[in-house]
Amino acid sequence: MLKTDKIKFSYDQEKILKGIDLEIKAGAFIGIIGPNASGKSTLLKNMSKTLKADSGSVYLDHKLLNDYNSLELAKKMAVVPQNTEVNFNFNVYDIIMMGRHPYQKRWSGLSQEDKQIVKEVMKVTDTLKLKTKLINELSGGERQRVIIARALAQKPDILLLDEPTSSLDINYQGEIYDLLKYLNQEFNLTIITVSHDLNLTAQYCEELLLLKEGKIFASGPAEEVLTEENIKAVYNAEVIIKTNPLSEKPFVTLVPEVNRINKRELRDFRIHVIAGGGTAKKFLYKLENLGYQLSIGVLNIGDADWQAAKELGIKIVEAPPFIDISKNEIQENRKFIEKADLIILSDLPFGHGNLANLEILLDYPKKKKLLFSNLEIKKRDYIKGKAERIWNKLLEADKNIYLLKDRSNLIKNIKKLEN
Amino acid sequence: MGENKKNTFIYLTVVLFSFLLIFLALFIGSSQINPTDITAYILNNKAVSASTAIIIGEIRLPRIILAFIVGAGLAVAGAVFQAIIRNPMVDPYIIGISAGAGTGVMLALFLGIEIALFNLSSLPAFAFLGAVLTVFTVYQLARVGNKLPVLTFLLAGVAVSFILNSLMSFLMVLRTENLQQLVYWLMGSLAGTGWSDIRMILPYFLTALAVIVFYLKDLNILLLGEESAAHLGLNVERTKIILLGAASLMTASVVSVSGSIGFIGLVVPHIARMIIGPDHRRLIPLAALFGASFLLLADTAARTLMAPMELPVGIITALAGGPYFIYLLRNKSKNIW
Repeated sequence: MLKTDKIKFSYDQEKILKGIDLEIKAGAFIGIIGPNASGKSTLLKNMSKTLKADSGSVYLDHKLLNDYNSLELAKKMAVVPQNTEVNFNFNVYDIIMMGRHPYQKRWSGLSQEDKQIVKEVMKVTDTLKLKTKLINELSGGERQRVIIARALAQKPDILLLDEPTSSLDINYQGEIYDLLKYLNQEFNLTIITVSHDLNLTAQYCEELLLLKEGKIFASGPAEEVLTEENIKAVYNAEVIIKTNPLSEKPFVTLVPEVNRINKRELRDFRIHVIAGGGTAKKFLYKLENLGYQLSIGVLNIGDADWQAAKELGIKIVEAPPFIDISKNEIQENRKFIEKADLIILSDLPFGHGNLANLEILLDYPKKKKLLFSNLEIKKRDYIKGKAERIWNKLLEADKNIYLLKDRSNLIKNIKKLEN
Repeated sequence: MGENKKNTFIYLTVVLFSFLLIFLALFIGSSQINPTDITAYILNNKAVSASTAIIIGEIRLPRIILAFIVGAGLAVAGAVFQAIIRNPMVDPYIIGISAGAGTGVMLALFLGIEIALFNLSSLPAFAFLGAVLTVFTVYQLARVGNKLPVLTFLLAGVAVSFILNSLMSFLMVLRTENLQQLVYWLMGSLAGTGWSDIRMILPYFLTALAVIVFYLKDLNILLLGEESAAHLGLNVERTKIILLGAASLMTASVVSVSGSIGFIGLVVPHIARMIIGPDHRRLIPLAALFGASFLLLADTAARTLMAPMELPVGIITALAGGPYFIYLLRNKSKNIW
């Protein structure tokens, strides 16, 4: 449908696009992302003939974009530019009807077809109720819908949008992307949108195109493009990629700068964490950022702590869920425990499956251990006092046990034990 | 349908009002003429004295027609400029047309050139020449490649205006004997105009009008912003240049006979837009009728208020337009379009 061949473009002396090769198939929904000045808007403008490439060419349906006259192009391609402010107080119907301009003769009135199409696009974009309102009376989201309706009235095969939601509140952002998704799926409209919002595009677009300094850095489905390495390389930002549980699409979270202090200097202090059921995920993150060398286990695959440890890249001893921890895994766990300078036992509940995680501590009386005691062991014991007995035995025999009543003092206590 | 009825009503009212004004203007003037004689002259059913025939047929009637043309021309050109530049504070003189025309007139007087072309006064011809040359210069200055960025165009116009105005002042200091004629011209006046002036400007005026009418729909599209207009299939640069050219030609043609009458090109498109909305297919005709009626009214006042002395009509239009503009500014500053 749309193809670019080594397009290069510069403003004055500054090279903005340094050879972009792209092929976009009919019916695609592409999000172009990238940092400021990476050339994403410039690329869109080159694809819509607003700017003319210095070298290279753009093809629309196998025909050079430059060979289209402006009316022909307007029937195939519609564009929603970044600034959609209309200074003049036209009413919504008139604005949308202007989308029919490429089909109208200079002196002819509105044809039946024009009226029919405008009515349809108003229905699709839910702007019928705004029909007689003046464009300047609308909210940002409503105005954007009207502008999209105008673009649809052109009956295009391909729709290009430049930051369609940049000036909108979060509720309108979803609304606009929902509409785009609908148009893409229902009418097989090819959509290319430029956005700086990684998560919105990841949610909605089929494929992402990540630009860096005028070149394509990565392209493909969101899962492949939005990786921590890619974001680090392109944006120079530390992020954590999670998966949105509803859509299974990646979700980018920025790691705040304060949590990143000294991260690169790993401390020469190893901590092994025994946890589960999400009892460790909050402090894992802090410990990781403080530069402690972490390991964790044994954890069931899919457990909340397992997921957090995975995201942070911590070494995990993992076991399949719903069955007892096996000998192999216990053996694996020992290796980490033996290397550790400190063992942390979180306030996890004990059952058949994970009792081995508690028992193992009895074998290492010389290792320093930090036990969470904010929740009484009785309340966490789901195997009729078995766990409680082991717990009490530990407390009696072991001289290297430190109890932590208040979880918020964790870091302070670790620092004490470190010296 | 309600919308259409309303618009028809507006047009009918304005057209009726215009005709009424024309008749009124025929009847009043510095020399007292019996109304029955005037009616007789119009209906052509009774002989009237030669002087009456001359006053009505050769003085009042052409002046009324000219006021109509000039007023309509200024308002239409103003509306077009405001649309292309997408700024409501723009008038047709912004790009230096009046300064150019004035300099043309000054030069003609200064050099004592009195070429009698086909029996016409040479002053309007020089004004026209000055105006057209100025527009051409501004256009060349503002052009970047084959594009015409609106902002550069405006700034080039303002700069050229300044230069020409100072040149004009310099010439005025050097030569003072024709000062009154010049001051009248600068303030804008229709005094002493006749059929010959109409004949001179009509071809240019009609050409420019035809072009503007041809591009009315494109003007609407242009209002959406140049980028959006291009995506709707409009050849923006070409349309812009053609329309700017037509509006400049229209302004140059009327300025050459009337001098720089202020405020009509600025205020009248505003009022028309407030009444009928921004669609140029409806706006331009209404602005033309408003401009025409307004100038006719002002000119009639100019020649009768202090009769037998004539006031420059520019004083009256500015006096009426200025306060109105301030009112607009204070009351509708948010939504001035």
